[in-house]
Formats: sequence, C-alpha cells, structure tokens
Amino acid sequence: MVLRRFLPALPPLLAFAGILAIWELLSLYFGLDGLPPPSVALRQVPVILTDPQSLFDIVDSLRRMAIGIVLALVFAIPVGLWMGRSRFAAAFFNPLLSVIYPVPKAALMPIIMLWLGVGDASKILVIFLGVTLPLIYHSYQGSRAVEEKLLWSAAAMGMQPPARLARIVLPAALPEILVGCRTALVLGLITMVTSEMIARQTGIGNLVFQSLEMGIYDTVYAMIVIIGALGFILDVLFERLRGWLVGWAEPAQSIIVGST
Amino acid sequence: MNTRSSTLAYGLLGALPIVGLLALWQAIHLSGIAPPALLPSPAAVFLRFFQQLGDASFLQNVGVTLYRLFVGFFVAAVVGIAAGVVATGSKLFASFLLPLVRVLAPVPKIALYPAFTLTLGYDDASKIALVIADALFPILLATYQGTSAVEPKLAWSARAAGVSPLRTLFTVVLPAALPSVMTGCRIGLVISCIVVFLAEMITSTNGLGHLLMRAARNFQTVDMFVPLIAISILGLLLNSAFNALRRHLLRGFPEEK
Amino acid sequence: MSQAELTSPRIAAEERNALRQSSMISIERVSKYFDTRRDKRHLALSEITLPVTRGEFVSILGPSGCGKSTLLYIVGGFVQPSSGQVLVNDRPVEGPGPDRGPVFQEFALFPWKTVLGNVTYGLDQRGVPKAEAVARARALLAMVSLSGYENFYPKELSGGMKQRVAIARTLAYKPNILLMDEPFGALDAQTRTRLQNDLLKIWDEDRKTVLFVTHSVEEAVFLSDRVVMMSRSPGRIQDIIDIDLPRPRDRASLLLDRRYQDYVVNIERMMDAQTGDHS
Ligand SMILES: Nc1ncnc2c1ncn2[C@@H]1O[C@H](COP(=O)(O)OP(=O)(O)OP(=O)(O)O)[C@@H](O)[C@H]1O
Ligand SMILES: [Mg+2]
Repeated sequence: MVLRRFLPALPPLLAFAGILAIWELLSLYFGLDGLPPPSVALRQVPVILTDPQSLFDIVDSLRRMAIGIVLALVFAIPVGLWMGRSRFAAAFFNPLLSVIYPVPKAALMPIIMLWLGVGDASKILVIFLGVTLPLIYHSYQGSRAVEEKLLWSAAAMGMQPPARLARIVLPAALPEILVGCRTALVLGLITMVTSEMIARQTGIGNLVFQSLEMGIYDTVYAMIVIIGALGFILDVLFERLRGWLVGWAEPAQSIIVGST
Repeated sequence: MNTRSSTLAYGLLGALPIVGLLALWQAIHLSGIAPPALLPSPAAVFLRFFQQLGDASFLQNVGVTLYRLFVGFFVAAVVGIAAGVVATGSKLFASFLLPLVRVLAPVPKIALYPAFTLTLGYDDASKIALVIADALFPILLATYQGTSAVEPKLAWSARAAGVSPLRTLFTVVLPAALPSVMTGCRIGLVISCIVVFLAEMITSTNGLGHLLMRAARNFQTVDMFVPLIAISILGLLLNSAFNALRRHLLRGFPEEK
Repeated sequence: MSQAELTSPRIAAEERNALRQSSMISIERVSKYFDTRRDKRHLALSEITLPVTRGEFVSILGPSGCGKSTLLYIVGGFVQPSSGQVLVNDRPVEGPGPDRGPVFQEFALFPWKTVLGNVTYGLDQRGVPKAEAVARARALLAMVSLSGYENFYPKELSGGMKQRVAIARTLAYKPNILLMDEPFGALDAQTRTRLQNDLLKIWDEDRKTVLFVTHSVEEAVFLSDRVVMMSRSPGRIQDIIDIDLPRPRDRASLLLDRRYQDYVVNIERMMDAQTGDHS
C-alpha cells in the first residue's frame, strides 16, 4: 500500500538522481573551478536555508511574486473571459496583446525602476506584466470554447450577462484557466528571478550573482538548485490543487501520454 | 453589414488601443507631468530607432543577438524534435526522458545562466546554452504530444506498405504531427528571442540587451527604449515569418479554427 | 463439412492441417482481451477460428462492438492477439507486411502529401525508382477514375474520392490480401454503390483474398463468397453463410434475383433474432 502511494514519485526522483550523477561526472572530468561537484554544492543548501538574511531574501521574493500573480489573476481572468464571449472585446484587445507578446517583460525593469524606484512596486509590476498575457490567453481560449447552449439556457432562466460570465463561463473554462495559471506560476518565478538578476538590488536573483562575483561558486550552485527546486515544487503543488479543483476534467497527463 | 466591411471595422477597432496608448504616451509627455529624462516622447524614441537602423555599430549588435538566437534555437529545435519523436517511438526511451522532462521543464532556466557563464565563459557560448535550455522544452513537449496523438492508422498504413518502424516514425508520424511541432517551434522561437535579450542584459559586452543596460547606466532614456523596440519588432517579424512558413508547410492539413 | 464444425474449437488436428493447406489466411482460436479500468479485462474476441481460401471474398457482419475491427487489425498484424494465432500463407503473422493491405473507414490518407504522393509513398520508401513508382501510381489512379487529381491534397477531395485514393495507395504495393474495415461506411448511398461496383471490377481482375467488414447486409451479399456473422459480448462467430451467386455480378440483375433477395432477408432475420436476444 505504502509502496503504491509513493510509486509515482519514483521516476522523478530517479531522474533527479541521474541529473546529480551526470553533474558529478562532468565536474570530475573537467575539474573546473566554476563547476564544483554536487556533493560540495549541495552542502551549501542547508547553510543558505538556515541563514536568516538569505532566508528573508527568498521569502521576500516569493511574497512579491505571490502579490504580482494574484493581481494578474484578478485582472487577466475577467478580461480573458470577456474576450472569449464578445467579438468586440476580442477584436479590441487581440492586436494589442500580440504586439506586447514578444516584449521581454523583465527587460522593462530598468525603465520601471526609473519611474517607480527600486522598491516593491517595480518588482511587483514586472511580475504582474510577466504573467498577465498567458493568463489572458488561456482564459480567452477557455471561455471561447464554452458550449453556446449552456449560455442560452442560462439566458432563458433570466441570468444577466455578468452573472453568466461568473456562474457559467468561469466554471466551464476553469480547466483551461488552470492551465494558464500553471504557466503563470512558473513564468512568475522566471520573471522574478530574471528581474532581480538585472536590477541587482535584493532577492534570490541578486543572491546568485552576489556569490558569483565574490567567487563563492558552491553557493551559486546551491542557489541554482534551490531555485530549480522551487520551480518544480510549485509546479507539483499546483498540479495537486488542479487535480482537486477539476478532477472531473481530463487530466493534463492524458494529452501527454496519449495513444500510439 | 457585409463580412468585408465588418472585418475592416474590427481591424480598426483593434488598432484603437495601440494608437490610444501611443497618444496617451505623447499626451503625458506634452503635459509635462513627467520630465523628459524619465519619459521621452514617442516621436523622439521612434526617430532614434530609425536613425539607429542606419548605424553600423547598432546593426552589429543586432547581428550578435541574432546569431546567438538562431544558433540556440536551431540546436533546440533539432534536439527537441528528435527526442520528442523517438520518445513516441520507443517506450524505453520515453521512460528515461519523460521523468527528466518532468523535473527540468518547470525549472526556471534563467537560474542556470550563472552556471553557464562559469563553465562556458561570458561570451556567446553561455548565452546560446541558455537559449537552448529555454527553447528546448516547449519544442520537445509539443513534438511528443503531437506525435503521440497521431492517428495510429496513418502509421499502420505505412507499416503495411513494408516501411520499417523507424522510417515510419520519421516519414509519417513526424509529418502528421507537424501542426503541433510548428506550434512548439513558434513558442520556442519567441522565447529564444526574449531570453537572449535578457541574458545580454544580465552579463554581456555586446548585443541588444547590452545596449539597453549601457543606456540605463548612463541615464539615456531614449536609448533605453530603442533596443526594447528593436527586440520586440524582431520577435513580431520572426513570429509572422514563422506563421507564413507554417501556412506553407501545412497547406495540406485541414484548416484549424 | 458443416459450418458449425469449421468454427468449433475442438477441430481435429489433422483436419486443421488439411484446412491450412488450402488456406490463404487461417485464423486459429484467436482471443483478445482489452485491459479496462480498475484491473478489469474485457473479452473482445473469443476463440475465433476462420480459414479463408485463396481468392475468396469474405465479409464480416455483426453488431457494433463485436470485435470486427479488432479481428481485422489482428490479421493485419497491427494488434497482437491475447491467445491463438493467425497464419498467412502458412506463416504466423508477427507484424504488418506488404502481403496484407488495409483500407480503413477513415481513409487514413497522409494530409501533407498530394494524391500522387500518397500512392507512391510506400514504393518510394522501399526504393522503387521514382519514374516506375509514378507510372504505377498513375495507372492505379486511372483505374480508380482519379486521373487529373494527382496534385490535389486529400482535403480537397470528396469522401468517395479519398477512399479511392486510399484503395489505390494500398493496391500500389500489390498485397495478396485486402483487409477492408467498413471502407464505404462513411460514404453516401450513391457513392457507395459506385465504389462497390468498382471494387468488384478490380477484384475480378486478379482475385485477391479479401476480408471485408461491413454493417450492410446488401453490401455483404452483393460482394462476397461467404458472409461471417458475429455476435457480441464476447465476440464470437455465430454463423457462416455461403453466398452461391454467379460471378461476375451485375447489380441490376442481382437485385431482381430471387436468391439474392432470400440471402438478404434471411441474414437480416438472423441478425434481428440476435439483437432480440440482447435487449
Ligand atoms: N484499444 C482498445 N482498448 C480497449 N478496448 C477496446 C480497444 N479497441 C477495441 N476495444 C473494445 O473491443 C470491442 C470490439 O471493438 P471493435 O472496434 O473491434 O468493434 P467493431 O465490431 O469493429 O465495432 P464497430 O462496428 O462499431 O466498428 C469493443 O467493446 C471495444 O470497446
Ligand atoms: Mg469497427
């Protein structure tokens, strides 16, 4: 029974072990200063995680990321749902969105810092910008695919358009919206780390480059492992939440595994 | 209203927010709320952009960025497509690859950039490596999903004609999955575009991203906007070029909605 | 020898060997399970035994889900049986091969290839010189009345034309056996009769062995030498009826033929009786 429960976690664990093994071999083979073996680098992970200053930096980064993502959710989902149900809204927003799409959002950091200073506001704004587009896109796709007849019957019952959006379209589009949320979560982390690497003020991204410039390479790699683990853990947690919220919909894996 | 004039009306409607934003920008500039050092006028920015297009050193930086972008993207495309197809063809390979992808796909690749600079140096190689790491997964996943959803009867038709499983994989399963593969590649291309720029912003001595950072350090606001506009236009151009290629390659496939 | 004996699993060994010798296809005690959810197994085919002689046109009729397609896929080598075996030319089937050409209800044409490209594909892959492959493809396309459509893409063709291309594509590598799974099922009645006539004409030229799955009793009787009737849950052979009608067959005179009408009515009655049992 216990084995059964933990069996699905086995392949990723093996994969992780495989990555460490390859890393160890590479570092043995090349013997570079800039590539310490994982056995050395990983020893820094608990050190970083127990150091109050770095721990504070990490938690602070995550706090800003959470705020940015929540703001984006509040803004992007209604816009996306509206676009999906109204030809007018879709025609209005789509060209603007496709122009904004290829702009590297984290690259706006220096300009935004000029305007808003180096505080939380700039960092949150960049994260907000970074995750808004995929959220709008997926909400749009989800709401566009909602069965017309569901809405007709709701209209026949006398439901007003905003209520229909909230009570019919939102739940029906939820699986697709959650796909967008998953992208947004990882993208939020990426934007956060990147903008901190560019701005070099505070946060996880800054920590990495600080140690890099001071030549403490095992800390650099330990930080990389921590950031990577964050991405993976957030993704796994979100998958759990998604499975719980929309267990009725097709699991995302079924698309991936499919039939041959 | 007939369809053509309604298409036109909707096209104009779509231009509205873009024009509106530019107008707002110009208005803020004219009103003097924001000092020009913080917000230059859009006219000044675009003028500078077109000036720079004739500037040899600017174009050289564009060339550097494009070189990194394309090398990285092509390596990612070849590796991602091959791995995705082989994973569909071989359960054994898939059982190795998929857990690796599961672990690595959600990792923010930008975090690997410091490691790349330490091992590959501060020049092209580390940036290309980052582009590969970032573009690889969308391409690989789209290829794998596309190929594993291919109607088995297509492959059966080839196998019945006496074609070997490996050849069937590359001459039938892969082309049949082309719509999905192309979508993955388009996403990978735009990501490559963005990520090469960011890498150049973080550490570089040349390229468009470096130009932005240099301007930021010298508080030359107009020059900060120019590389941003350049990379965005580049992304748009690549995206639409790719769409044209896609339409050509997929001309036999039924239209998607 | 009666039909009941033929399908009986307790067929004597010598007798089976005698059968094999005259058989092009010998389906021997083939069963197929599918694993369904929650560790349950679904028995789709149970102990199917069916010999098919060279040049015979055999149709398979049966209710939806009785395993007709599955049986055809097993003969094609696309699906492995859970037990039993299929012999083709006395050799066990281990996978797909160019001796057995499938034709599917869904056409399964390659959408990225033109009509000509679809038909030459198998030949190209097996190293047949380009000119020869194209010449053979053109001849086949002429045979299925599609000359002039060489450079069309499948999406530009009607359903009937698509199925003609699929048939030409399969005939291109000269299989001895055709495995046709409701090939005309997705077509309108008119196109369907046209293609039935065409198929009979093509078949009369070299008398390939054909396994033909259909839901239409008229179609089965019109085309076949034998009609195999299957029942469902689990899929078994219920009955086999010899169609003793003269060839070459002409639709108009056949429709007026009392024997044809009797076959159709009798088979329909038997199928009704069977579905009656289930409901
Ligand atoms: N890949 C599969 N996995 C699980 N069950 C399957 C699979 N393929 C077929 N089955 C089951 O096997 C049974 C027979 O299926 P099959 O497609 O052979 O029937 P059929 O006689 O061709 O039906 P139809 O006339 O509708 O085409 C059905 O109950 C079907 O649900
Ligand atoms: Mg079937």
